[in-house]
Amino acid sequence: MGKPQKVTLKEAAALINDGDFLTFSGFTIWRRPMAFCYEMVRQGKKNLHLFEVNGGTHTEVLAGAGCIGIWESCWVGHELYGKLGEALAAGQIDGSIIVEDYSHGQAVARLLAGAYGLPFIPTALSMGTDILNPKYDNLKKAGLRDGSNPKIPLKKYDIVHDTLYDKGEILLIPAANPDWAVIYASQIGTEGTVRVFSQRYVDVEAIKAADKVIVIAEEVVPEEYIRQEPDRNIAPGYAVDYVVELPWAAHPTGSQFNYDVDADFMRAFYQASKSKDGYKKWADEWVYGVDSHEAYLEKLGVNHLQNLRANTVMGYSTTMKRGTR
Amino acid sequence: MAKNYATNYKPNDLLAVASAREVNDGDVVFAGTGLPMLAIMLAQKTTAPNSVCIYEAGSVDGRPVDLPASVGDARCAWQASVAAGLTEAFYGQLHSGYVDLGFLGGAEIDQYGNVNTTVVGDYSAPKKRFTGSGGNPDINSLARRTVFIMVQEKRRFKEHVDYITSPGWRLPKWPSGEFVHRKEVYGKFFQGGPSAVITNMGVFRFDDDGIMYLDTVHPGFTAEQVKDNCLFDLNISRCQGETERPTVEEIELLYNEVDKEGIFLP
Repeated sequence: MGKPQKVTLKEAAALINDGDFLTFSGFTIWRRPMAFCYEMVRQGKKNLHLFEVNGGTHTEVLAGAGCIGIWESCWVGHELYGKLGEALAAGQIDGSIIVEDYSHGQAVARLLAGAYGLPFIPTALSMGTDILNPKYDNLKKAGLRDGSNPKIPLKKYDIVHDTLYDKGEILLIPAANPDWAVIYASQIGTEGTVRVFSQRYVDVEAIKAADKVIVIAEEVVPEEYIRQEPDRNIAPGYAVDYVVELPWAAHPTGSQFNYDVDADFMRAFYQASKSKDGYKKWADEWVYGVDSHEAYLEKLGVNHLQNLRANTVMGYSTTMKRGTR
Repeated sequence: MAKNYATNYKPNDLLAVASAREVNDGDVVFAGTGLPMLAIMLAQKTTAPNSVCIYEAGSVDGRPVDLPASVGDARCAWQASVAAGLTEAFYGQLHSGYVDLGFLGGAEIDQYGNVNTTVVGDYSAPKKRFTGSGGNPDINSLARRTVFIMVQEKRRFKEHVDYITSPGWRLPKWPSGEFVHRKEVYGKFFQGGPSAVITNMGVFRFDDDGIMYLDTVHPGFTAEQVKDNCLFDLNISRCQGETERPTVEEIELLYNEVDKEGIFLP
């Protein structure tokens, strides 16, 4: 409890141990703590257990570097800028990553239950699908539903009969309570109050569900300022353990009212991610080849970044060329 | 007044236009990225001005002036009535019963409307992995109607899909896996299900038994050609003729207003 501790990016990533259970802020290619993921790759994290309501470019950066042991989620890709999650797919196919598929709404239920301190939440979403096929419970097949890991539920889901309103069968979806939530946010107050702009995705739930929270903030602002409009904030300072102040830390993903998605950078990464060699060359240039986030920004260049900068009224770049017209 | 039909258009233009015509005025629509977005935005500018759109990242009834590149895009939330998050989209809107129409895509489909967006081959030893479910099965499970927009290829219209990501009209009931009608799986939560599939060759609907049939065939194709592009025995006996062509006005709206930057329609 109390105020979060200010740390550097390297110190923050060093808090994560091999095998830890993590979740991240954002949605597919928006508001992902990319700089933190690059740093985990540089520090050579192994066997991470990720719970992600949805995956994205950051998932692929970690998967390509061999950081992921278990991935529980529903989707991975780069939206319009790369249609598949190639590195994660390769890991699932060669057996190096245990993949547990839920539907998107079921994954939300997992984090929601975790956030509210409940063991499960009922849902009628995605019944009758192969997501529920008992043959496809990959954590069970790996022998990991034996109770020895308190973060892995004894069952992927349960089906119960509603005894209260007699609505018939309904699913119970187990809570997810990761060791860590790593949240990229636009603003954090000097006492740790967190603010994001526009859609909140599942950032609020991720903060509440995790045991420890690291916020990578675009900027630190006076606490008095952020408290003038408390309805725009998503978490109090006592919910946050560590803060890193780091501009452009979500690049190449976008951050509403800060900067847009870097489409060209993401397309280039997607092409590279299609092979192990391609990934290695890309990572040698953009992850291992830059010792710090500052060196990464230097390499990107001012004009490149300026083109991504969000219009402060619209919340996204109105100057970048996006299509053919 | 006679409609002024376009003589020159691309397959995706017809896909977007035919999909837009599935929207009833006043529908609450839950749409995915890409062509579904073009379809709802075109419908709002033509036949369904009172329809509204929800995107799963949490924007409710946004009025984007620039085309979003994905459902999490800041552009989705411009002039939205609510910019919330996924809990609101999936539970506050969808599970609570507001959604009339889901607009989705898919990689493979079977004759019951079961859709696969997860793997090629046996899930336990897949040959290829796609993106995974995303919100596709959730939207499809509790929207009153669902429209799928897909590419027509023989290998994609299968007797059985490799993995049922998104629920059609006949489904496995777990834990036994026995195939039953969708109503038996959803019970009192049943709202509806897949109502149309729109491809680059035709428009398909589902009969009372939940089996797909060809409703209209796009100009330039025959019903037999469509049947030849399915691995299951497609019912073409109910085909009503040609799909209505796009009008000049619809094409102009698509290129000059909906996708003025040429993102999905280059």
